[in-house]
Amino acid sequence: MSEAWQFYISTLLVYLGVNVMACWGLNLQFGVAGLLNFAFIIFQAIGAYAAALVTLGPHDPDSYQDYIFGAHLPFPLPILAGAVAGGLLALFVGVIALRRLRSDYQAVVMLVVSLIAASIATNAVGLFNGAPGLSLIPKPLASTLDVSLVGYQWFYVGLVAVCCLIVFVITKRIQSSPFGRSLRALRDNPDAIAALGGNVGTLRIRAFVIGGAIAGASGALLAGFIGAWSPASWDYRETFVLFTAILVGGTGNMLGAALGALLVPIAFLEASRFIPSFGRPGLVEALQWVVIGGVTLLFLWFWPRGLLPERKRTYTVPEG
Amino acid sequence: MNDDLLSVHGLGRRFGGVVAVADASFGVGRTSIVGLIGPNGAGKSTVLSMIAGSLRPTSGTISFDGRELSGTAPHTAARRGIIRTFQTPSEFARLTTLENLLAGARATRGFTVGGALLGRRWWRSDEDRLVERAIGLLRRFDMLPMANEYAGKLSSGQKRLLELMRALMAEPKLLLLDEPFAGVNPTLSRRIEGYLARLCAEDGITMLMVEHEMGAIERICHSVVVMAQGRVISRGTMAEIRGDKKVLDAYLIG
Repeated sequence: MSEAWQFYISTLLVYLGVNVMACWGLNLQFGVAGLLNFAFIIFQAIGAYAAALVTLGPHDPDSYQDYIFGAHLPFPLPILAGAVAGGLLALFVGVIALRRLRSDYQAVVMLVVSLIAASIATNAVGLFNGAPGLSLIPKPLASTLDVSLVGYQWFYVGLVAVCCLIVFVITKRIQSSPFGRSLRALRDNPDAIAALGGNVGTLRIRAFVIGGAIAGASGALLAGFIGAWSPASWDYRETFVLFTAILVGGTGNMLGAALGALLVPIAFLEASRFIPSFGRPGLVEALQWVVIGGVTLLFLWFWPRGLLPERKRTYTVPEG
Repeated sequence: MNDDLLSVHGLGRRFGGVVAVADASFGVGRTSIVGLIGPNGAGKSTVLSMIAGSLRPTSGTISFDGRELSGTAPHTAARRGIIRTFQTPSEFARLTTLENLLAGARATRGFTVGGALLGRRWWRSDEDRLVERAIGLLRRFDMLPMANEYAGKLSSGQKRLLELMRALMAEPKLLLLDEPFAGVNPTLSRRIEGYLARLCAEDGITMLMVEHEMGAIERICHSVVVMAQGRVISRGTMAEIRGDKKVLDAYLIG
């Protein structure tokens, strides 16, 4: 395989891994616990910013970019910092928005939170350098590892794979535990789980924080790979790409969520790159969103449980 | 009176200008089945919701098992031993019947995030005990063949049974039943009546039920509380209230 192809394939694999992680986090929140988190992307974003801040080093007033805090933390602490930042933001948003509101209102609040977050990050320049965002974010272990550009790409694929594995174990264990069952019960009927002694508020917040931490870690990996992160990287619409992914793949099913991550953000968006451009500039890009919306509607109408539906958990029961 | 499991005193609830419950006082003795009856709009379900903690009373007090309970959250009331069922079917539709029962149980090792992360080996034995209990209940209520069916696919009568079994998994001291026979065919209704009577007699579970089906009330309730227009207008056994002119007026005149 030529170096160019290796570069291309490894880049796609990194994006795939990051999206699979994100889809698992979102699936835990939406597919399992029934939380309509239309702000999911901001948790990925805060993770990316946090990881960037703790690798960029202390802020230099003469620098072209302006940001708060700033430190040099060694690998893998920036990824953990991303997860912690995602979890803390989820805790903050969750405590405000999730304790009392019904799910349709949660959706509205989350969408608004997403827009507010983008507005803050863009306009409060001193936080994360505003609209241009942070750049020249040092890549994890790039200076320690003595490898070629392509070699580093493959190293990153491995790093993302390891993170995916960790997230897989965490989410899988949660979903197959009695706690996960309570979350699914919460999804199906919050009033009934409350009447049985389940604390709806804390159940929701726990699912939200775990999902947020996973989103944060995925963002940290993304920022480390790209080396730059700005509000344009986390447009509120990106959340809907992930929602479409898990709706297509199958909500409540981990393999389904991973399949969705492969089909929607990777295969579909990548394939449309190869469509020869026609019409006005930007038309193909705009049509992508139309198709994403169309696919979501089609699946909600005709295959609401997705390609790989949540599987039934059966028990061996004695006869009669 | 003071030994009652539940006692409600001067309970009231307004929704804006509308007075749903004006003044309700009654007690529910230990190991008894009490019917809460009255014409539509009498405030029966509102009273039930206030005892269950899903509605905050605007006045009055509720005490349960010797302790004040007014204004607690539904899950707090449930953890103290008050488990309610709902007027409309409220199964966990995408969980199986058995899983619905398991979701009714509380506080074993696997119910926390930490416990879940420690994995199956950590919570397996607790879980096995719960499954055993759930299977015992399914057998007792003749629902074992439905154990692995999605609860959403059960008939409305089976959903009633499911809710009852799920409530029992939570180990209630007091069951609040909101029209347990609504939408259930007469044969199954009779079966449910039998189950309820035995749960009280054999397991010592106290019940307060809102119900319109007078036949069922007469057969299984030890006493009844009659409400009309937000007030308790009569209390006593079915035979006693039958001769009460106030009750007849409430039902006939509204």
